[in-house]
Amino acid sequence: MKVLVCIKQVPDMESHFKPNGSGTWFSESDLAWRMNEYDEYAVEQAVQVKEKLASEPELTVLSIGPDRIGEALKKAMAMGCDRAVHVQDNDSAAKDPWQIASIIAAYAKAQGFDLIFTGMQSQDRGSAQVGAIVAELLEYACVTTIVGFEFTGGAVTVKRELEGGIKGVARLKPPALFTCQLGLNVPRYPTLPNIMKAKKKEIQTIAVADLLREEPLSATTSFHAPARKGGGVVLEGDVGPMVDQLLAILREKTSVLR
Amino acid sequence: MEATREIYWNIGHGVVLPMYLLSMVAVAALAWGIWRRVPRYRLGKPLNRFDSYEERVKRMIADVFGQEKVARVKDGGLFHAFFFWGFGLLFIGTMLVMIQADFFTPLMRVNILSGEFYKAFSLVLDGAGLLAIVMLAGLFARRFFIRPEGLETSADDYRIHVLLFAILITGFLIEGARMAVTELRQDPGLAMFSPVGKLVAQLFTPYAEENIRTAHRLLWWLHFVLVMGFIAAIPYTKLRHIFLTSANAFFAPLEAKGTIATINLEDESIEQFGAATVKDLSWKDIFDADACTSCKRCQERCPAYSTDKPLSPMKVVRQIGEQAESAPDGNLVETVGQDAIWSCTTCRACQDICPANIEHVNKILEMRRNLTLMEGAFPGDEVRTAVGNIEVNGNPFGLAFAARGEWADGLPVIGMESGQEVDILYFAGCYASFDKRNREIAKSFVRICAAAGIRVGILGKEEKCCGEPVRKLGNEYLYQMLASGNIELIKGYGVKRIVTTCPHCFNTLGRDYRDLGLEVPVEHYSTYLHRLLESGRLEMSPDDFIFTYHDSCYLGRYMDIIDQPRELLAKAGGRIREMDRSGCDSFCCGAGGGRIVAEEKLGNRINVARVRMARETGAPLLVSNCPFCLTMFEDGVKTGGFEGEIMVRDLAEIVAARLTV
Repeated sequence: MKVLVCIKQVPDMESHFKPNGSGTWFSESDLAWRMNEYDEYAVEQAVQVKEKLASEPELTVLSIGPDRIGEALKKAMAMGCDRAVHVQDNDSAAKDPWQIASIIAAYAKAQGFDLIFTGMQSQDRGSAQVGAIVAELLEYACVTTIVGFEFTGGAVTVKRELEGGIKGVARLKPPALFTCQLGLNVPRYPTLPNIMKAKKKEIQTIAVADLLREEPLSATTSFHAPARKGGGVVLEGDVGPMVDQLLAILREKTSVLR
Repeated sequence: MEATREIYWNIGHGVVLPMYLLSMVAVAALAWGIWRRVPRYRLGKPLNRFDSYEERVKRMIADVFGQEKVARVKDGGLFHAFFFWGFGLLFIGTMLVMIQADFFTPLMRVNILSGEFYKAFSLVLDGAGLLAIVMLAGLFARRFFIRPEGLETSADDYRIHVLLFAILITGFLIEGARMAVTELRQDPGLAMFSPVGKLVAQLFTPYAEENIRTAHRLLWWLHFVLVMGFIAAIPYTKLRHIFLTSANAFFAPLEAKGTIATINLEDESIEQFGAATVKDLSWKDIFDADACTSCKRCQERCPAYSTDKPLSPMKVVRQIGEQAESAPDGNLVETVGQDAIWSCTTCRACQDICPANIEHVNKILEMRRNLTLMEGAFPGDEVRTAVGNIEVNGNPFGLAFAARGEWADGLPVIGMESGQEVDILYFAGCYASFDKRNREIAKSFVRICAAAGIRVGILGKEEKCCGEPVRKLGNEYLYQMLASGNIELIKGYGVKRIVTTCPHCFNTLGRDYRDLGLEVPVEHYSTYLHRLLESGRLEMSPDDFIFTYHDSCYLGRYMDIIDQPRELLAKAGGRIREMDRSGCDSFCCGAGGGRIVAEEKLGNRINVARVRMARETGAPLLVSNCPFCLTMFEDGVKTGGFEGEIMVRDLAEIVAARLTV
């Protein structure tokens, strides 16, 4: 059995984002990077499948990006993936979800993966398209935003999140692709022996040009902070005048006193 | 007639052979009893505690014969110390008698036990015997009638008390019987030098000499058998502490307080990190269990135990001993319990007070290392998040690392990356950098330095968490990653002196980083400012205020910096109202040992307990010297309902508010 986990390295969301030179994406200076939160659930689920099946499946983790993504791949391997595929691409941020999915599919096509896990979306771009498109390109069954996963008797039972807090249950047979949502599991913290072992695991590097055959279908035209829509007003001073000021504002700008 | 007495009076020299044979049997039983415990110690990992022989012997002598650590706690401790000295003198006296009777008399025909020396000898031993009995009575009353809370009494304690009383009392009875027949009649002047014996002798005077002599012989044998029993019983009862606790004074660590073994992460042969079983601990950790006398001093000072958390340092030490005996391959972490292991604040109160030189804290850290490094465990999800934040952004809050230096905007600091000359590198640490309340410490410190004309450099966004909280949570890997990053940076800038406002950074950079190659002198700002003030570079205009002062664990107990901060505050015009628990006896704020990033879910709150102690002094102001403490106390004031009653300030804020320029 072969399992693929697709992950992305994203900036920590507490970082200070600034537009890059062309104003079409964020600048990478002063950013802290980490594995996309939803992809951590994907890695954890894959490792749990492997543990349940007594280590039989081989777990491959794949990511697309520049050198820095090696850290995310190492973490996935420290969590339990067996090998990594690094699709070397210094310009991955400029690629649209269609291209990213095409790259993954081009790699996965000949590999015969039984299960593919990925996050339900990335924390930075948040398109939530890549997983579904990969499944489509590979003609795999696909369930998105799963919050429960069970593998028994060669079939998979998953729980997925629907609108309004309702959950749906689906049963399907491999090959299949799942996109993982918060609540699926608690990603493990890598143990030191596993971190050490991960350092010796294989990272296969593939140039993006060897896998990319598609043109983008969409383009990001602008990246900017939302325009300021007025600020708050802080009243200061003695209570009496402040009350008067407040009343004046309420009369002038609202209808509550009319 | 020269003052002396006939040794073996009424017993005869024929007793020498059986006496020595029985003594050898008793000593053999003692030696075998100790020797049979050695394999248990050997279960542990090797650790060299036989180096620096001379220093170790000196410490042992001070500890054992000086009774320094025992007598530090007056309750029980003074009784023990005086009993020890009394009993010790009796032992020496008996040895002198032996040497005189069986070596000097037969071999050299000299009598040292004569004349003035004999009088002094007789008086001292009588006094020592009386002292021992009175002290034993005190210990007896304490253990069986006063029954201090937490003091556990076992069958051993009953037996030992009876045995010791019997030995001391029969000793006096023998003396009294002998004196009733000899000195009282022949040399009443000499009897004055055995005042207790003389009193006891009066009990015998009404009886016929023959009867007294028979009683004397019986009592002599009884006393002898009891003493032999005492010697033989040492390794099989709590009395073993006579040897094992004394030996532990020799084995006590010589390195700086708080030293933690730095794991060599390059060593690929290591398969087990931390302690999962007792075999993963050192032999000394197992030995410690035998050296423990269950005096419960550690337990009653433990902030976790005092606030109803499932941790007693005494129990942990005992559990290690029991596990070594019953299941050396069993899961130690399970035996001790995760809740107990995570409850420790590493405040060192247990270890500091321990009269037996037991090392409690590192045992707990070794178990935490197993939990963290081998199992990826955390005390709670909030800790998992904080550790993740430290990994990604170098601070537990998860705030952007790039914002780390923003607290200093508009202040006279020099970014180290500018390459300008600085006098000190101020290692601000996470809390003073990011936490709004604690930024006041950093700002105050910089203002003080500016007033004293000190050029302060900061690492700004290049600085990362020093790694202390994660190291104390057992995550040696992350600690070393953070440490090596910081060290490389500091070395790269050619820093000559580092000052911290956080005692945790101070301990870590100043002591722990040494193992990883940082040699730059590191100082806490309390001593740094104290020096600036002494040298006249720093001037304050004092004003009168009343305060109480909290010694943070990592400044007071770990680094013995107790007077300088108090002197600084006194020079600022402060009048101190000490809490009962201050200096080396201070009570933790609850944030040590990585607990700063953990929620306190068990028992009641340590920080509230400490604020209550501060409030009880009547002082309206609580001054601390640590960002973690400040955080805990600000919270304790709110959650404990002390708002409006007591304020919390950092030492730096107090000084900064009184600068003359």
